[in-house]
Amino acid sequence: MTISPERLAAYADGELHDQEAREVEAAIAGDPALKEQLDAHLALKARLFAHFAPIAEQPVPDRLRSAILPEQAKVVDISSARERRENKKQRWIWIAGPALAASLALVFLNFGTQTPDETHAGGALAQALDNQLAATQGAEAPVRILLSFRDANGRFCRGYASRSESGIACHETKGWRLEKRFGGAGQASTEYRQAGSNVADVLATAQEMARGPALDAAGEASAAARSWR
Amino acid sequence: MEHGLNAQAPSFNPPRHRKAKTLTQGFEQGVLALLPRLRRFSAGLTRNSADADDLCQMTIERALRNRGQWQEGSRLDSWIYRIMRNIWIDEARARTRRNQTFVDPDQGLAIGAGGGQEENVQLSDIDRALAKLPDEQREAVLLVMVEGYSYREAAEIVDCPVGTLNSRLVRGRDALLTLLGEAA
Repeated sequence: MTISPERLAAYADGELHDQEAREVEAAIAGDPALKEQLDAHLALKARLFAHFAPIAEQPVPDRLRSAILPEQAKVVDISSARERRENKKQRWIWIAGPALAASLALVFLNFGTQTPDETHAGGALAQALDNQLAATQGAEAPVRILLSFRDANGRFCRGYASRSESGIACHETKGWRLEKRFGGAGQASTEYRQAGSNVADVLATAQEMARGPALDAAGEASAAARSWR
Repeated sequence: MEHGLNAQAPSFNPPRHRKAKTLTQGFEQGVLALLPRLRRFSAGLTRNSADADDLCQMTIERALRNRGQWQEGSRLDSWIYRIMRNIWIDEARARTRRNQTFVDPDQGLAIGAGGGQEENVQLSDIDRALAKLPDEQREAVLLVMVEGYSYREAAEIVDCPVGTLNSRLVRGRDALLTLLGEAA
């Protein structure tokens, strides 16, 4: 079947429903030229996102904050908000370690992460958890590994995020158990939540669960080579 | 100096007699939480950091003034993005008129983008490529590819049919792919 440019673009933007998405995926699998177009779309998207991402990371100028909050509330809320923000930052910076650098400019895609049951990862998510390394994953990976660590029970756990979901999975004999689940990371989120705050939640929770620092690139690679056992 | 170390430091902070308002300030908090994203969208629209924060400020002020028009339960972010986008369109129109009237065409590019040569030099490939897009394609690209809105949400923000949004996006994206090279 032929895939129109609009349809391919819609696929790249996560706009297609499951059935349509599978059709496009099937067409891409049999057509290297189409795959190339998709890669170009995804690379452009990643590049645009990364270009603007630093602006959203910068501290917001006080004049904008004070345009919103009345004087008295401002004093209290801004300082405490700043404190909270900095705490959160400090809380996850050490845990994320070397893995975080690769995850700072993220583009999240909507991919099938369907689970065989409610408690364990399946599909593209399980594959990513098994094989993908935070340090080397491509910019367009549909599921992004944020970090890997060992929890208090000695299990290997990995924080992940895609456009539609994020969370922490820990490896057990049955596979990757979904320990914590948060919302999607790339979707313009509902209500007031800032896109990306789910990623912060994953990292903060990982830090609470972890027995030590996050695995560095070498530690991650060797854990993967031993099938996370 | 002899009053030095043991002297009690004078307080520069007047005591706080009034307690901070603890009323539910959901709306303000919502706008506050959106600020980083609004600054990003603003930077994309204006392509100039000084203008970007001015646009943000105007947006915040209008949003607060018109807060009665926001329906609780509906998306605050889309509502405010829409305000920002509309202010920018009005601004850009006014600016075009001014420029058409006053700018010497020989001065070309240096005008309108903040004037400074330095700024022009510092523009990245992406900034330059985005600058070449028609406004309606640029805003579609920004809303979907940077801000992460779905086609439907983006169409609501710019107030056009989804199909129209889609075709602006495809044209804008194709133009960027060409301008930035195949490897993007």
